[in-house]
Amino acid sequence: MEFIIISTLNGVIYGLLLFMVSAGLTLIFGMMGILNFAHASFYMLGAYVGYTLAALVDFWVGLIVAPLLVGAVGILVERYMLRRVHAFGHAHELLLTFGLALIFEELIKLFFGDFPVNYRMPDELQFAAFTVFGTDYPFYRLFIGAVAVIMFVALFVLLARTRIGIVVRAAERLPRMAESLGHNIPLVFMGVFGVGAALAGLAGAVAGAYFPTNPNMALELGVIVFVVVVVGGLGSLKGSLVASLMIGLFSSFSIGLDWSLASLLGLVGLGDWAESVGGLFTMTLSSVSGTIPFLLMLVILLVRPAGLMGDRN
Amino acid sequence: MRRLTALLLASTAVAMAAPAQAEPLRIGIIESLSGSQTSTGRLYSAAVQYGVDIINAAGGFNGEPIEVIEYDNAGGSTGAADEFRQAVADGIHIVFQGASSAVAGQITEDVRRHNIRNPGDEVMYINLGAEAMSLTGDQCHFYHFRYATTAPMRVNALVNAMAAAGELGTRVFSINQNYSWGQDMQTAIEDAAAAGGYEVVEAVLHDVNSIQDFAPYVARINAADPDTVITGNWSNDLLLLMRAASEAGLDVRFGTTFLDQPGNIANAGDTAIGHYLANNYVPDAGPAEFNDAYRDAVGHYPIFVEPPTIFAVGALAEALEQVDFGGGDIDVSAIALALEAVVYESPVGPITVRAEDHQTIRPVVVSHVVRGAAYPVDDTDLGFEVVGVVSGEDAIYPVQDSCEMERPD
Amino acid sequence: MRTPLLIAAVLVLLAGVPPFLDLGLQNALVNVLIASLFALAFNLLVGQAGLLSFGHAAYFGVGAFATLHLMRVVEDGFGFPTPLLPLAGAACGLVVGAIAGFFATMRSGVYFALVTLAIAELFHALAPRWQGLFGGEAGLSSMRMPWQGVTFGSTLEVYYLALAWVVVSICLLWAYTRTPFGRLTLALRDNEQRVRFLGYDAHATKVIVFAISAMFSGIAGSLQAMSNEVANYSLFSSHVSAQVVLHAFVGGSTVFFGPLLGAAVFTLFAYLISDLTRSWLLYQGLIFVLVMLYAPTGIGGVVQYHARHWQRLDWSRLAGPYALGSLGGVLVAAAAVFLTETLSVLFDEPYAVARRDAGGAFPPFAAFGTGWDPLSPLTWLLPLALFGVGLYVLTRARRAIGEEWEAIRSAPTAAAAAAAAASRAGS
Repeated sequence: MEFIIISTLNGVIYGLLLFMVSAGLTLIFGMMGILNFAHASFYMLGAYVGYTLAALVDFWVGLIVAPLLVGAVGILVERYMLRRVHAFGHAHELLLTFGLALIFEELIKLFFGDFPVNYRMPDELQFAAFTVFGTDYPFYRLFIGAVAVIMFVALFVLLARTRIGIVVRAAERLPRMAESLGHNIPLVFMGVFGVGAALAGLAGAVAGAYFPTNPNMALELGVIVFVVVVVGGLGSLKGSLVASLMIGLFSSFSIGLDWSLASLLGLVGLGDWAESVGGLFTMTLSSVSGTIPFLLMLVILLVRPAGLMGDRN
Repeated sequence: MRRLTALLLASTAVAMAAPAQAEPLRIGIIESLSGSQTSTGRLYSAAVQYGVDIINAAGGFNGEPIEVIEYDNAGGSTGAADEFRQAVADGIHIVFQGASSAVAGQITEDVRRHNIRNPGDEVMYINLGAEAMSLTGDQCHFYHFRYATTAPMRVNALVNAMAAAGELGTRVFSINQNYSWGQDMQTAIEDAAAAGGYEVVEAVLHDVNSIQDFAPYVARINAADPDTVITGNWSNDLLLLMRAASEAGLDVRFGTTFLDQPGNIANAGDTAIGHYLANNYVPDAGPAEFNDAYRDAVGHYPIFVEPPTIFAVGALAEALEQVDFGGGDIDVSAIALALEAVVYESPVGPITVRAEDHQTIRPVVVSHVVRGAAYPVDDTDLGFEVVGVVSGEDAIYPVQDSCEMERPD
Repeated sequence: MRTPLLIAAVLVLLAGVPPFLDLGLQNALVNVLIASLFALAFNLLVGQAGLLSFGHAAYFGVGAFATLHLMRVVEDGFGFPTPLLPLAGAACGLVVGAIAGFFATMRSGVYFALVTLAIAELFHALAPRWQGLFGGEAGLSSMRMPWQGVTFGSTLEVYYLALAWVVVSICLLWAYTRTPFGRLTLALRDNEQRVRFLGYDAHATKVIVFAISAMFSGIAGSLQAMSNEVANYSLFSSHVSAQVVLHAFVGGSTVFFGPLLGAAVFTLFAYLISDLTRSWLLYQGLIFVLVMLYAPTGIGGVVQYHARHWQRLDWSRLAGPYALGSLGGVLVAAAAVFLTETLSVLFDEPYAVARRDAGGAFPPFAAFGTGWDPLSPLTWLLPLALFGVGLYVLTRARRAIGEEWEAIRSAPTAAAAAAAAASRAGS
């Protein structure tokens, strides 16, 4: 029971963090059809900007400046690079962002070194929110979750309830039509890309103070974020929320489960045979939990490429 | 520049006849000097250079100063294979390497194969910190020397010292990384249970350096209600585990093996206080002269992987004193035989080579983190205070059956 | 025809020069050969069939592991000729490629890229756990056994073995593009719908291309396994997949020999300067992005473009702007290198130690064989000036080159001009 409650809490929070990063990615893909390999790099940039400003000025300043700065970088990338190669097709855009991801990683290493930097939350946020079964639950985890929830609500309201949202959705569905109605579609694209990057930057500044901030963080999170976006449905905000929570909960629970194919086969009397074969059969779920998200992504891509909640097109 | 020069020489077909002079001993350091695990590689490199500078200041070897060349394996074993071949091309006699058991596995096999193919022109490999048991087990060979501890040595020492200090308790939780080192640690923790008077309540293996959030593991630790958590985790995996534990208000003692990696204490802050470390050396264990001499030369006190590296080069220096090639060709086998016999007096006790598997028998230092330590680390006021030094004889384990070493005639 | 002569000359060089090179360079050339074959195999998929794979490390790795397993059996006395070991990699690459390809090619575009990525990540996550098949985290290791009096002990012997396999493989790949089936894959890239309407099974075709590409990737992996005599899970890492993408696109994926060019240049360059700088990966990324932005067809594409218009090129007019452009490029590159290397010194730990020793001041630092003062404006004006001048020169050169090419493109070909003259004379 204790394990279940704590794991659920942890899973939800981690899922919400994944959502913060993947929200921008899925928005960008939904609108522009660009699979942005550099998106997790924006997350990393946000964390490093937050770290630098927290050291130089203040944690909260970093929290505000990081998304603005990273959003600006995103706008520059869209305006001066992606738009340039747009004519060569989506594959080219993908390759470009892939190259940018390499550059961002190396630049971070150049300035901050290869080791994780000591980016910590301020002391006033470092306390236990509540205690369950004798375990303190850190407030900052709830803070991360709260930021993500606020972000989701704000995005949802913006897209569904405001005029800007209508234009953006129109630009997504029928860009030509929206353009002939007098809307500046390139500007909309630039804005969306900037906002997507800014969201990742905010996520970095918030989560980097809790999770490790190092030059590998983009690589580590990047693939998982792809999984989230694919499973949720490329372009669906709600889908990526659901997928984020799923993956968060899964990685939180799989750790406690020592199941293997052998123990499963044991239920039908084939346990000894499986044990003797070894290999795949005796690997416990907790030790191969890293592979499950990829397996999930593969299955979704092959069975239902539109994802859980994406539109079929 | 070396490689560009080599290319230019080759392209102009200028074959320079080597002038007749004594052959200098060439040492190659094959470490990760770019890529994601750079910093440890640079520590190894700095410490080897320090040791060699001392030998050279005393007149070098074979009438020439010892040459040290760095090779960047870019963090992977493929890079290491390429760099080893480059090192052979450069006429390296002794290879030093320490970070990563995967790279060590590659290098030790490369050295073995090279020596089979090139009798009389052998290369020797001094392993400074790759602790996988197989390196002195089924992969062991005469030209590999491990100047570092291994999992059972660290665990035995840790358990003894913590039990003596009354901090071990009877319930131990084992959490380790799921690869050779972590698996070795888990085995060692389970094997030491009887002698240490504890019960392993749970043993967990997790992915290496890819877990962002250790809170679920802490939940599992909490559910098992241990007195002590013993872990061989290093880098991020250690840091995050300890951080998550302290945030959950978990009241356990950590027994660790790599808490002294630079940056760890700064990152962990006060949560590190009271946790234990079993390693080769902490400055608090040795005389001030040893620590100060290193600081004066390099800029900081010897930390993390540096002390065992200094010891290894020191032992090599003593071996070199036992051989004399009269300025002629260097016979690596003779150096290896001499090194086998060296008893190196480190600041914490003698270090000897066990002839059967070339594992060193060496003291293990157990310390814990305190505030206001004599040698604070990472620009904090925290540091490691020695709890006990376990002698080599007490820490060592029997030779593994899988080691079948062929000795040179 | 110049091309066969050129190829013959390259082959003679590749066969004749290595014995005179030092061991390190010989080994670097082995890596160049392997990377070239891998890039060409990868490009069969992206250049010919238009399928962008982000997980080709999977097939490279499968080939390597298969060969290593066979090598271990040979070491234990199984009489398999050492030079034919890559056949194991080819076979396993083909089979795994066919299976993976069957699933991956059910999707296209970005989705295809994601499937290949997921497959490679699966291998990467599974291999270190699977002791029996992949040797766990340490991997598998073996030794090349002598065969028919050849020891295969020296790097040179490995080099010639790799050269033979790579040349044969490249010939096969080239021949493939000439077959009707190879033509069909091209059509698939350009207009899949049409291929389908013509009555071909598009999916089956794609699976076959995928499998063939994986097979040759497997051969490349085999050669790597034979060269290193070891294979571990890092062969499946995204880094390996990324490198081949970089090689293929910088070299030029639309030209058959383009990827080979990219692989050769990058691998050799990495070897030559890796002991000079720690920022090689940054430069590599910058080169890749610049190529994507300004020369989307890659080096090979640019070369091919010139070759196609060779008859009409007036080098007396082009040489000037080209020289100017190169000068601009060199200046900008110099500025970027200076800045990168300076920053890498200033932000590195030894400099922090030096600062602490200097009591917080900014002591001078050494770079490019001389000392620099970090507070002197000269230190920063130099790269700035280099960059500014370089950029100016580059824009000027670009405009001039653009004008020249405009003229070349609009001018009638010599043949057409002659025909026009003839028809005028006739009338």
